[in-house]
Amino acid sequence: MIAESGHYALVLALGLALIQSIVPLIGARLRDAALMNVARSTALAQLLFVGVSFAALVMLHVNSDFSVANVYENSHSTKPLLYKITGVWGNHEGSMLLWVSILALFGGLVASFGNNLPLSLRAHVLAVQAWIASAFYLFILVTSNPFLRIANPPIEGRDLNPVLQDIGLAVHPPMLYLGYVGFSISFSFAIAALMEGRIDAAWARWVRPWTLVAWIFLTLGIAMGSYWAYYELGWGGWWFWDPVENASLMPWLAGTALLHSALVMEKRNALKVWTILLSILTFSLSLLGTFLVRSGVITSVHAFATDPTRGVFILLILCLFIGGSLALFAGRATSLKQGGLFAPISREGALVLNNLLLTVACAVVLFGTLYPLAMEMLADFKMSVGAPFYNLTFAPLFALLLLAVPFGPMLAWKRGDLLGVMQRLLAAGVAGLVAVAIAWGWATGGSTLAPLAIGLGVFVIAGAVTDIVERTGLVRMPFATVLHRARGLPRSAWGTAFAHAGLGVALIGIVCETTWNSEYIATMKPNDVAHVAGYELKLDGLFQRQGPNYREMIAEFKISRDGEALTVMTPSKRSFTTRGSSTTEAALLTRGASQLYVSLGDATAEGAIAVRIYYKPMVLLIWWGPVLMAFGGVLSLSDRRLRVGAPKPARAKQRLQPAE
Amino acid sequence: MTRKQRRMTIIGGSLAVLALAAALVLNALRDSIVFFSTPTMVAEKHIEPGKRFRLGGLVQPGSLQRGDNLAVTFEVADGSAKLPVAYKGILPDLFREGQGVVAEGALDANGVFKADTVLAKHDETYMPKEVADALKKQGHWKDDYGGKASEGTKPAATTAQGNPQGAMR
Amino acid sequence: MTLWFVFALMTVAAIFAVLWPLGRSSGAQDQGSEVAVYKDQLAEVERDLAAGLIPAPEAEAARVEISRRLLAAAASEPAMAPRSNLKWRRAAAVLALAGLPLVAVAVYMPLGSPKLQDFPLAQRERGSGMAQSLENLVVQVEQHLEKNPTDGRGWNVLAPVLERLGRFDDAVRAYRNSLTYNGESAERRSDLGEAISAAAGGVVTAEAKAEFERAHALSADDPKANYFLGLAAEQDGRKDDAANIWRALLAKAPADAPWRALVQSSLARVGGGTMPALSDETIAASKDMAEGDRNAMVRGMVDRLATRLKQNGDDVEGWLRLVRAYLVMGERDKAMGASADARQAVASDAERLRQLNDGLRTLGLGG
Repeated sequence: MIAESGHYALVLALGLALIQSIVPLIGARLRDAALMNVARSTALAQLLFVGVSFAALVMLHVNSDFSVANVYENSHSTKPLLYKITGVWGNHEGSMLLWVSILALFGGLVASFGNNLPLSLRAHVLAVQAWIASAFYLFILVTSNPFLRIANPPIEGRDLNPVLQDIGLAVHPPMLYLGYVGFSISFSFAIAALMEGRIDAAWARWVRPWTLVAWIFLTLGIAMGSYWAYYELGWGGWWFWDPVENASLMPWLAGTALLHSALVMEKRNALKVWTILLSILTFSLSLLGTFLVRSGVITSVHAFATDPTRGVFILLILCLFIGGSLALFAGRATSLKQGGLFAPISREGALVLNNLLLTVACAVVLFGTLYPLAMEMLADFKMSVGAPFYNLTFAPLFALLLLAVPFGPMLAWKRGDLLGVMQRLLAAGVAGLVAVAIAWGWATGGSTLAPLAIGLGVFVIAGAVTDIVERTGLVRMPFATVLHRARGLPRSAWGTAFAHAGLGVALIGIVCETTWNSEYIATMKPNDVAHVAGYELKLDGLFQRQGPNYREMIAEFKISRDGEALTVMTPSKRSFTTRGSSTTEAALLTRGASQLYVSLGDATAEGAIAVRIYYKPMVLLIWWGPVLMAFGGVLSLSDRRLRVGAPKPARAKQRLQPAE
Repeated sequence: MTRKQRRMTIIGGSLAVLALAAALVLNALRDSIVFFSTPTMVAEKHIEPGKRFRLGGLVQPGSLQRGDNLAVTFEVADGSAKLPVAYKGILPDLFREGQGVVAEGALDANGVFKADTVLAKHDETYMPKEVADALKKQGHWKDDYGGKASEGTKPAATTAQGNPQGAMR
Repeated sequence: MTLWFVFALMTVAAIFAVLWPLGRSSGAQDQGSEVAVYKDQLAEVERDLAAGLIPAPEAEAARVEISRRLLAAAASEPAMAPRSNLKWRRAAAVLALAGLPLVAVAVYMPLGSPKLQDFPLAQRERGSGMAQSLENLVVQVEQHLEKNPTDGRGWNVLAPVLERLGRFDDAVRAYRNSLTYNGESAERRSDLGEAISAAAGGVVTAEAKAEFERAHALSADDPKANYFLGLAAEQDGRKDDAANIWRALLAKAPADAPWRALVQSSLARVGGGTMPALSDETIAASKDMAEGDRNAMVRGMVDRLATRLKQNGDDVEGWLRLVRAYLVMGERDKAMGASADARQAVASDAERLRQLNDGLRTLGLGG
């Protein structure tokens, strides 16, 4: 009953999506308001039915209804409730259902909050959303149906892949999908603009907040996934340049570029065509990510199951949408009105530079991801493109970008004063150089580039602080005025500062972790002591414990530093009976932003155990950075003020802030 | 500045960044790419010692030997050739004899592959793709295995036919 | 029945979602336009100015900029008089009324299984309280035996329960343990054989047959061993032998033996029961048919086993059974294929791989 209702609801959602793909477009052509309004009610109904469908699948997992093949294959009656729920999207079929649910959610949001959109624009946007939705409903129903039944239900399920039984999985995929799918809105807006042949102020007003929402979630999703890999995969790596990670990084890079170009468009009515192209590219990269992960072209933790038919189906969707939208762009872009003029040295110019570097960096990642695949297909030899490649290509480009970051927000719109900005950034530059000197003197070993990179990080942070200081007039003015100005400062200015500072924070974390992390790998017997980075770890003993659906071997370490006992760490190794596989649960000790990381290897016959201990200085900054960025995004999103970029009146040059 | 000059500045800047990126990529392609080999390819091609590559194949059953202090040696086989591998460190959770493995490192003077990274496949049902493809190519893999495997993973429960397991029991 | 009612309700809701906007009069719709956006922006400037958020000169600059755009927008605003088009609205309504249910049914029917009931854990527990408590008991006994694996009596108790629960592979293991710790007996041997053939989907495999033969050697009168040896003969196509074995069994059987009926019906199946007076042709025909049916049956069993192994490949004994079944059916190619599949499937586990290779060697497929 639940299973079949969920299944039928999904089919109805497909039917509604098909109607929503056609009827509003006819309405827009005939300028019939009622036909155009069909888009709105069908989008809401679609959300309702997909919601029912998703809720049904969650219920089935919670009830351990093994007459549903998807539940049988990915659940177990003894699995803790939390993982019964998260297991819904811990598998291919369920995760695709989550994907369309989020798509329907965004469609529903446009439908319900789109009152201030011109009717025909709304109809077009929702119709394009429905095209995407129809394609993916069909994909789910035909190749990855989560509601298929088993006539003679087995008594027990096959359990979820143990690596995925973790709280990180509860959060990571929904976040990531909110990001990926959120970009579908800007895509639909772009396609709608191309079909209508015009972009107006309402267009710009809508696209940026949506992009921002998607970008915030994607940022958090990527950070979350990286932290999950860090503590769950057991060897302390947090980024592998794995194709699937690249698949999430590429939309992020393109989305970040889109965010900035949409800013120009919103405030200065320029870069329209480029913004449209970026919207298309960003979502195309999201789709490409889905294809790479779901098709089995690439093996990774994320590829739940490889299946050629699914791959072909997604490839078709991919070609249809990317090819179709780019063709439409090529045909219609010239008909769009060009925007305003600006000097190369100006806020707009800086944003163009930002876009340039971000898109090129994105292209480099795309190249690194697809090159091995292409070579394999064309030249029939295999190779891997890993961290060394990206260190030589992506890193310099990003360093260049970071160097430019503090300048951007300080330049005025239309025409800026580079020399003046340099003077104002002098303090930040000095701070960066001091940081380089300190890092140089203090650090032992590691790359010579590391202190420079730390200096760059400090410069970016100091630049963000300088921007705020300048705007509030801190130092120069009485405190009360500063306070008043700080309150009056647009929240988006704060958002910019936080997001940019977040970049610097993450950079410092990355550099410290990769350069000065210490590692200790050995076999230890009870009462052995390991010395790592000034910490003493004494292995007290090994214990067995029975968990709900696994057995675990726990090692107990007493941690002390300079003779002072700190705490006890208990890394463990779990073996899951149903799947016959094991996971390593690392133990983490956080000291400030640094972490001590202990994970277990195999036990030897003599009762000793292989142990990995890492000391990772400043490692948490890697994830605090993105959190800061996302926080900046939220601040910027909450800024309801007008978004017109007027040039500064010449008379009041010194006293005034550019309006945000 | 005229409109044209401004446009040229922007286009020039873009070309400069693109050229920079292209230079970086080409440079990186020269020395940071790691090729993939199987023991057979190693035997045929004679890869010089010290050149880094990725070695893929099945861990020869019975070949795993643990030495002192986490040193391990094992053999990687692909049906027609075998190559001894030495590694020091903790093997991944999913490393098992008879199972697919990918190791990264270089040959030493004695023809032993000194690995500094060992990757086992992430999932117990699937081979690393490189290994599967290589085995397939050499005919040690039944061609339709991949197809069968995916049939198997897909719930064979389209209709009341039912799950085979359910029906059996 | 309720299910169809729910489906109908959902369909009606979906259709309603399409019809509702069509039915509403297309009066003044609330919609945004470019002009409206700029008017909003102007209002915002005034609000911010009044609240002291932006200084006057800046507000003035912004106002000028917005006004300029407002004028441009107002000039280019197309005449967007909404029109209504009854013909197309009707078409859309028809699309919703007919198309939606049609698509829903056409897509759902081949994919869905409306006849299947839900099977949640709670209901399983409530509905089959017996089975559930039995499962709990089994778990307890299993845990006990894990700690005291030499408790032969425990294995003895556990094995038939496992078999009844359908966990044949575990039952086989339990019977083996029972044999190890309780010693040989014809009864235990034939129970083991029964479990093995149950696990093989009813096929008396060579392995099972060996067990029955041992049981038969231990006690020539053991009815279970005799029955299954007969079945083995039948499955091997030696109907006369089967009939002879069963006839002998019936002759020795006590009149009130509960399995008498089973043996009799089996005997009738192989044509060794009462001999009806029929023309030779009919007998030949029915024999052929029975042969075909029987083959189909055996093949069905083997196919089921093969599919199951594809799903869950780490069952070494299952693979061996499958290979053996193919060999018995004289399909050596398939047997070779299955053993290759098996090697791939258990390659991840050295222990299993060794078992598999040993098993294949005994089947003459080693190497």
